[in-house]
Amino acid sequence: MDENSKPRSVLDSLGEEIVRIVTPVSICMLLVVILVSVLNNDSDSSGPSFTSIATVAYNESSSDSNWDKLKGAILNALVFVVVVTAVTFLLVLLFYFRCTKFLKYYMGFSSFLVLGFMGGEICLFLIGKFRIPIDCVTFALSLFNFTVVGVLAVFMSKTAIIITQVYLVVIGVLVAYWFTLLPEWTTWVLLVAMSLYDLAAVLLPGGPLRLLVELAISRDEDIPALVYEARPIINPDSVQRGAVVQRRVWRERRDNDIGSDENLDSRSNLNSTVYSSLESSSGLESLPSIGERTAVDVEDGLVSRSDSELAAPLIQHRINVRMNLQEGPSDDFALEGIGLGSSGAIKLGLGDFIFYSVLVARAAMYDFMTVYACYLAIIAGLGITLMLLAFYQKALPALPVSVLLGVLFYLLTRLLLETFVVQCSINLLMF
Amino acid sequence: MEAAPSNPTHNIISTAPSAAISMNSSVATHRNPLRVDWPTVDGPLGLSEQESVDHARRFFKFGFLLLPWLWAVNCLYFWPVIRRPSSYYHPDLRRYVVRSAIGFAVFAVILSSWALTFSIGGERLFGHVWDKLVMYNVAEKYGLTGWI
Repeated sequence: MDENSKPRSVLDSLGEEIVRIVTPVSICMLLVVILVSVLNNDSDSSGPSFTSIATVAYNESSSDSNWDKLKGAILNALVFVVVVTAVTFLLVLLFYFRCTKFLKYYMGFSSFLVLGFMGGEICLFLIGKFRIPIDCVTFALSLFNFTVVGVLAVFMSKTAIIITQVYLVVIGVLVAYWFTLLPEWTTWVLLVAMSLYDLAAVLLPGGPLRLLVELAISRDEDIPALVYEARPIINPDSVQRGAVVQRRVWRERRDNDIGSDENLDSRSNLNSTVYSSLESSSGLESLPSIGERTAVDVEDGLVSRSDSELAAPLIQHRINVRMNLQEGPSDDFALEGIGLGSSGAIKLGLGDFIFYSVLVARAAMYDFMTVYACYLAIIAGLGITLMLLAFYQKALPALPVSVLLGVLFYLLTRLLLETFVVQCSINLLMF
Repeated sequence: MEAAPSNPTHNIISTAPSAAISMNSSVATHRNPLRVDWPTVDGPLGLSEQESVDHARRFFKFGFLLLPWLWAVNCLYFWPVIRRPSSYYHPDLRRYVVRSAIGFAVFAVILSSWALTFSIGGERLFGHVWDKLVMYNVAEKYGLTGWI
């Protein structure tokens, strides 16, 4: 970690950056847990009517034995991962052929679908449940407004940062809620499978996400994807007057040996202070990319796209990942990875938000004790990933550590801790 | 504390370097040529002044497509423009932002009065039409919640 020449202590800037990324993750998880506990009182009976790409191989019913459920879940997860890989490779191909505009528009369209249709449906669920006396004209107008501004906010990069961040979190909440409608065993196996896939895709030399980031670096382009970017910390003393902070690192400073895209380490020498006036005040400097991928739902043969985004020091372009909605909502999860922006602002893919929230929401469907345990596990995993990120200075997958820790803690809590706590409470020993 | 009112200009000049991102300071009543004030609420991360004018104009025009929330977002983004006195920024910029604010206020009043009348008045006021208009009945009638 580089902590030279900072007027503020490393704890201030580093701690604040971490807080700025942990806060939206926590808010997303909280909102999904609230939605789930309010709407899903009958968590086991949602199976039969819900078909999507993730249940195409096996649809869980509560009468199967545990072993059957496990086998079915593994099959489901395998199908899902295969589809995601295929779509990610498709994305790499499209990106290779420079169809960026097409990708951008598709992403805007899919975020429109998420916000409009899924957001609308969840609002209808809430309205129906609480019997809120809102009329259809007001509802339609509000939904229309919300959706259009959301698409603009995520699609264009020039809206207020807070608005963009809020809308990204909302998209994460909506997609995560949709994921919680999957059957239980499938969800858990899917989480583990996706974290393993993320690990492979970002770190292996042939992985699609790694290819994507290398392509983007070599071409100095943005990858169209949904990335949550924390507000960068600006050192007040070093902002000179009249300088608008340039947020595109690459455009300003072209390294001459861009051809060495095999060697990601060479980029670590690239000084990320592109801003004309900003010094590299932040300790966490540039490079690393975030792997992003959106999985799409295949519904009746319709393949949606997945968008992987390894956003290296791009703070500027947060483009949406598109979703293709047919009969059922398609899942689009944006980023499966974590990286650093050029100003040191941390970027986290929307897919990470979504999967963390799915894990915690699934834990909430059992009991709140598992929620606390999983939340702590995920935040700890995120902290570990951030430390690794600062240490290695390259694109890292954000899913594996957190999700595997979270699953482990869920199992331990459910199997061991709960009996302990219940027995203690019954015997009036604690709590 | 007592020194502050007596020499406000001293405060301005001495804090000039860091004043560039102090968005909320409403101390200056004149345009100090040494200061650069950012028109957006994001400060140095936001738009420059020329881009802001285009941005504000575009959002203002888009808002006429029944999008009052867009006007509200526009005002939020250019909050410093509203807060500062009118000669501080480009006149066009301020004009668009203020018009967006007015538009949003008018729309909000109309919409909220309709929504409140609907929800508070209820069946007593509207009769059986209320049941036809209320959202949860509309959703049930058209099966809008069934396809998730």
